[in-house]
Amino acid sequence: MSGGEPLLEDEIREDRPRQRFVLDDQGFDEVPKKYRRFYRRWRGPEDTLGPNEALCPVCRIVVRSTRELRPGDRVYCMACMTRLEIVRSDAGHLEAHVVY
Amino acid sequence: MGDTVTEVHDLDPQVFLEEVHSFEFWFEAVRGYLDGLEHGHRPETPEAEFTEGERERLVTVLCHYCIGETAALEGAGGLIQIAPNRAGKVFLSTQAVDEGRHLEVLLHRLRELGVAEPEAEIERRGSRSLLEFKRRLGELVRSRDWVAAIFAQNVVLESMEFASFHIHMQRADPRTKEMLAAIVKDERRHIGFGENELGRRLKEAPYARERLRAVRDELDGLVMRSFEETMDAIGTPRSERSELGRQYHSAVERLGFAR
Repeated sequence: MSGGEPLLEDEIREDRPRQRFVLDDQGFDEVPKKYRRFYRRWRGPEDTLGPNEALCPVCRIVVRSTRELRPGDRVYCMACMTRLEIVRSDAGHLEAHVVY
Repeated sequence: MGDTVTEVHDLDPQVFLEEVHSFEFWFEAVRGYLDGLEHGHRPETPEAEFTEGERERLVTVLCHYCIGETAALEGAGGLIQIAPNRAGKVFLSTQAVDEGRHLEVLLHRLRELGVAEPEAEIERRGSRSLLEFKRRLGELVRSRDWVAAIFAQNVVLESMEFASFHIHMQRADPRTKEMLAAIVKDERRHIGFGENELGRRLKEAPYARERLRAVRDELDGLVMRSFEETMDAIGTPRSERSELGRQYHSAVERLGFAR
């Protein structure tokens, strides 16, 4: 998992406070420097996403947040300029869906 | 926007769109991966030793790419005139610059490979399917059909280029690989702009879906033939072509007019 350093070890229950993360720059150079830590490259199907990360379905870049992500959250992919909403899939995983 | 950002995802949606469509954002983004490159690759990257057959195939592929990038450059330039708002016009001006750069580095790469007259070589080796696609895209732009033209340019053409370049990079010589890697980074913005612009239009005018379905039906054959011609020239085995069209078909599915 490469989501960043968790600040709090809360349970991943949606009625509990969210985990917070300190994001580091992982070398994603397709957005201005001040935004780089919010994104990283996807390493393929074996890449495990952190609780604060979602895969952009449009451009396959990993979007990162300082907070644990939960269904209903809105995040932005600046690499392809897409607004995304976090949803829980039928299989129980969190996924990012495009919001036009 | 300040120098420090505590949480980018807290931005207001309108502020986000204004930011990512801006010239300022584009300039800071491309500086991140173009600084230090000369003609699309690092100056110290060595030239590969090609057999005559390898060189011939690479020249053919680069000629195909030049046609695609010329179509994209002319298309983006024309789309500025018919974009429905100023933020879109500004974004398309950055896309036109990107496409001009792509064409320039591709022409330079042809010269590095010993092609004395790239224009004549492109004329001689150009893919018929791509030329037909370019002609049709020009018609859509000139007819000021915004949704059809942005679909053809930023979803169909850009997805096709993105997939082709991505697959080609896996086997390319070091200089070509570096050149394609930087182009792919630009294409991500173009594809995203197209899909998001169309998604917003279709929410406001769902009847436009039928128009796009007709354009897709017309262009699908040309797209897939162009893919195949390019993959044949690159020498990509059929078993490795599954990624071809994935991006295009996924976008069409998300926009709601898949077959």
